[in-house]
Amino acid sequence: MSASSLARREEISAEGDMAALTRLYLANERLVLGGSMVLLVLVVWEGFERGWWADLLQPLLGSSAQRLRLKPIFISSPTRIARAAFQMFFVTGEMWCDLAWSSVGYFLGLALAIAVGAPLGLAAGWYRRLSYAIEPFLSALNATPQVVFLPLIVIWAGTGMSARVLIIFLLAVLPIAISTFAAVRTTDPRLIRVARSFGASDGQLFRSVILPSATPFLLAGLRLAIGRGMIGVVVGEIYGSAAGVGAMINQAGARFETDRVFVGVLTIVAAGVMLVEMLQRIERRVEVWRPRA
Amino acid sequence: MTTRQVEEGSSALSAFARLKIEPERVLIGGGTFLAFLLIWEALARSGLVDPLFISSPSRVALSGYALMRDREFWNDLAVSASEFAIGYIAAAAVAVPLGLAVGLFKRLRYLLGPFIDTLNAVPRVTLLPLIIIWLGIGIWSKVAVVFLGAVIPIAISTQSGVHTSETRFIRVARSFSASRMKIFFTIVLPGSVPFMFTGLKYGAGRALLGVVVGELYAATAGLGHMMADAGNSLQTDIVFFGVAIFMGAGLLVVALLDALERHFEKWRPHAR
Repeated sequence: MSASSLARREEISAEGDMAALTRLYLANERLVLGGSMVLLVLVVWEGFERGWWADLLQPLLGSSAQRLRLKPIFISSPTRIARAAFQMFFVTGEMWCDLAWSSVGYFLGLALAIAVGAPLGLAAGWYRRLSYAIEPFLSALNATPQVVFLPLIVIWAGTGMSARVLIIFLLAVLPIAISTFAAVRTTDPRLIRVARSFGASDGQLFRSVILPSATPFLLAGLRLAIGRGMIGVVVGEIYGSAAGVGAMINQAGARFETDRVFVGVLTIVAAGVMLVEMLQRIERRVEVWRPRA
Repeated sequence: MTTRQVEEGSSALSAFARLKIEPERVLIGGGTFLAFLLIWEALARSGLVDPLFISSPSRVALSGYALMRDREFWNDLAVSASEFAIGYIAAAAVAVPLGLAVGLFKRLRYLLGPFIDTLNAVPRVTLLPLIIIWLGIGIWSKVAVVFLGAVIPIAISTQSGVHTSETRFIRVARSFSASRMKIFFTIVLPGSVPFMFTGLKYGAGRALLGVVVGELYAATAGLGHMMADAGNSLQTDIVFFGVAIFMGAGLLVVALLDALERHFEKWRPHAR
């Protein structure tokens, strides 16, 4: 094989590679751009803590470049956070304990909110007079940031588990009640009339018309409630609690252990993403029977 | 997924608000509310429940009256109000252009998406301990929490407003060779106004939450600080008065935004 043909073949294959690369990039543009941006931010962040930028710009800016070297208690760094996370999850294992403590409060509060909010919303949607009666309370509570009740809850229930369950309940119950209410109100009146004229009882009507058409609203309310509940966990715990992820964040913050604060925040991010993902799975399963609109 | 979350929530809420005003409704609603206040007062007066725990409407009103003549209370109110105003206005000023840009330019969305989604998944008040480390316990840490709380929902719903602009209109404009600028100002921007207001209302709630939590957590002044102090010394009357003020503030902000929205939507042929 002559040298020139080999060179040409390499050229061709390089061209082909370029085209393939471009195609690959275009197909995964979102992943590539998003991923590289995240990577860039992580590197810049790490660089501030390790003083890479300070050293790099030293010749240009002189001694003022050292201002770019930031103290770890101020910003921590990705590697420090990773190390702290490993330590807390797998060496000492303290994080599992906090996580368990927070989850118990979270799920109790959420369950209570569903147990109260859904029947309340259904009843208010069904009985017009009841909705008139509870409406002022619901709309006033809805406009209020419900965490203002925290000092009162602490007076009533102390700073233990029950206070936390109460604040999570308070935050999560409104979206559930309101969306259930809206669900009943927006049920197709023709369906109700048809069922009625075929002599369906209230119970049958509820099971076979109202409940199925209310499910998407219920799930939407639940999705809002999941987010509100997370606020409840964090706020309830940072305001006065001995255990839980929020309490851990609070204590670490007070001691300027920024690495541990970040580990806590990221744990909550992960939990939030996971819960929303789970709910979406449920939503898809529940909605399988519905003909596509 | 996240935009749907914001929208569905608010559409459920507005369905609630859109009920027509009827005399029966006012009568029953007002009656229940009065009954609630009377029972509350009776429980406290009869001594069935210690007023230390539940206070009573008359005590709350009296303590509110006393506070009104206290200069420190007005200072607290001014601090809280300015934290809310600065943070919220800054959030709106950043989030609306950001949402529009992210909605218009696909690549920008890819670049910033991971950060917006992550911040959206976490209650921003979680960042409070960090913000306190960075900015101290003065007014600016609260402004930052308010800003962070409000900026995400506003940006996300503005973005979804851009995405849902009527494609038929855009196609018509294109075929009459409208410039990109023209399409933006006459179709995309007006079309996303209702979405912006959805975000602004949702963001206002988050901003108020930020004020409360920030001040309860660590502050030197502000209504939340006043409530936390009163709570620690079991002055339930003052705590309830604080709750009432925040309730009023929430209702006021929503009413103002509704009025503003109606103003902007006046030109639309059939109001939603």
